[in-house]
Amino acid sequence: MTWVRTRIENLGAGVASVYRAAIELWLVYVGTIAGLFRRGRNSPRGELTRQLYSIGNKSLVFIIVTLGMIGMVMTYEACMQLSRVTGDYSQVGMQFLRLIISDMGPTLTALMLATRVGAGIAAEVGSMKVTEQIDALRMSGVLPIDYLIVPRFLASWIMTLMLSVIGATVMYAAGGLTAQYNFGVNPNTFFDLSQIRPRHVILFLVKASSYGAAIPVVAGFCGLRARGSSEGVGWATTAAVIGASFAVITLDFIISAAALFLTGGDL
Amino acid sequence: MSDDRAFVEWREVTKSFGGKAVLKGMNLAVAKGEVMYIIGTSGVGKSVTIKLLLGLLRIDGGEILFDGQRVDTLPESKLAPLRKRIGMVFQSSTLFDSMTLAENVGLPLRKHGKLGHHASLVEAKKRLEQVYMGEYAERYPAELSDGMRKRAAIARTLALNPEVVLFDEPTTGLDPVSARRVDRLIRELAEKLGVTAIVVSHDPPSIFGVADRVAFLYKGLVHVVATPAELKASPDPIVQQFIGGKSTGPMETPGF
Repeated sequence: MTWVRTRIENLGAGVASVYRAAIELWLVYVGTIAGLFRRGRNSPRGELTRQLYSIGNKSLVFIIVTLGMIGMVMTYEACMQLSRVTGDYSQVGMQFLRLIISDMGPTLTALMLATRVGAGIAAEVGSMKVTEQIDALRMSGVLPIDYLIVPRFLASWIMTLMLSVIGATVMYAAGGLTAQYNFGVNPNTFFDLSQIRPRHVILFLVKASSYGAAIPVVAGFCGLRARGSSEGVGWATTAAVIGASFAVITLDFIISAAALFLTGGDL
Repeated sequence: MSDDRAFVEWREVTKSFGGKAVLKGMNLAVAKGEVMYIIGTSGVGKSVTIKLLLGLLRIDGGEILFDGQRVDTLPESKLAPLRKRIGMVFQSSTLFDSMTLAENVGLPLRKHGKLGHHASLVEAKKRLEQVYMGEYAERYPAELSDGMRKRAAIARTLALNPEVVLFDEPTTGLDPVSARRVDRLIRELAEKLGVTAIVVSHDPPSIFGVADRVAFLYKGLVHVVATPAELKASPDPIVQQFIGGKSTGPMETPGF
């Protein structure tokens, strides 16, 4: 029966490890929120500007290209399916826009940012951890979360919102051009904003804000857990990309479900 | 082992990582103004020992005292005064890449010493000049050699005039000349400023040239504490194998 006992012990150790990780993630999140109020004292000078540039400006082309391509493919597929059924494209633009604003715009932008920004934050924080720079910060009287995570949190939050607006616009525009040039859909029909209601915009803002807040916290948490040497940094980076992407999709599910519940299904 | 004269003391300290016990009830007492070297094979827990003192790692059992006060129970928020009195020079220098040397040295002066940004930079430059690095104050760590980075890291640690300085393998990776300069600096700190130095090292010239006493860590315990001369004369075969750097002998070295 030793093997049974060993398996139960391993399972117990696994559960305990996940529990500990969840507590640590929560502490990083709480520490980051608390750090926002201590910002003036602990963040390095000009760091927010540097992070805004690094997270925002440097992701711009990536977001425009990827979301533009997805917008083209989605519109093309939708029109293709409609051409086989009714051939009526009058609703394509309208429904596409609802989909972009209430879900695809912020979610796809955040998924792209989760890979680029999440990996960057985890690699940077992780390499500081394994080279003892985090310990050196603590020795210098600096809280590592205030110093490293808070500026990235603010920058990611602001830039995820802005990039989501840009990404959604590009996606919509690319879809409109695809519909016009491949299926002859009139731009006035496609770019029809009449179906958009404030609740769609609110959903857009809630999702983009939540994703922007989640990505740096998850990635920073992974970086702070890096152990050993370069292998540990690699592990942290991979974990950050998976964790941040998973957080975005989970938040998408929860927020969408909550929105459906709050609106009584009339979204 | 308890010592009334101890300035820093580890009592029955235990520490494990992932179920593997590294320290198994170690005891060590360091007197004020003493230069104590902690030696032992890789992975024996030398760096862990000094990080436990500063709360950078937490003990599993036992207690750690500094200046008569227990410090292992202090929460992170209460450790700042301790970290002001005890400085640490890390193994890999750990200067912050995004800051100039002056900003690096100025950081603890701003945070612990409550100096303004400009005042901290002025003071930092003075500190860098003391380790002959004044002309590099505006340079970034990546532009400098290992020895220069180490000197700047020492300047950063000394900026707050600590009473105890912990050195984690200060001469590893340095050329022999730079290494002996670091040794001389450690000795001067103790003799001129009365600083207590606790040094983790593998480097025999450093150990036998600088230490007042040496603690040899083996199998999670302090195997022996002795002066360098006593250590050299020790009949203990384990000690002799380690200080002689012999690959064969009674010593158990996990992984080899």
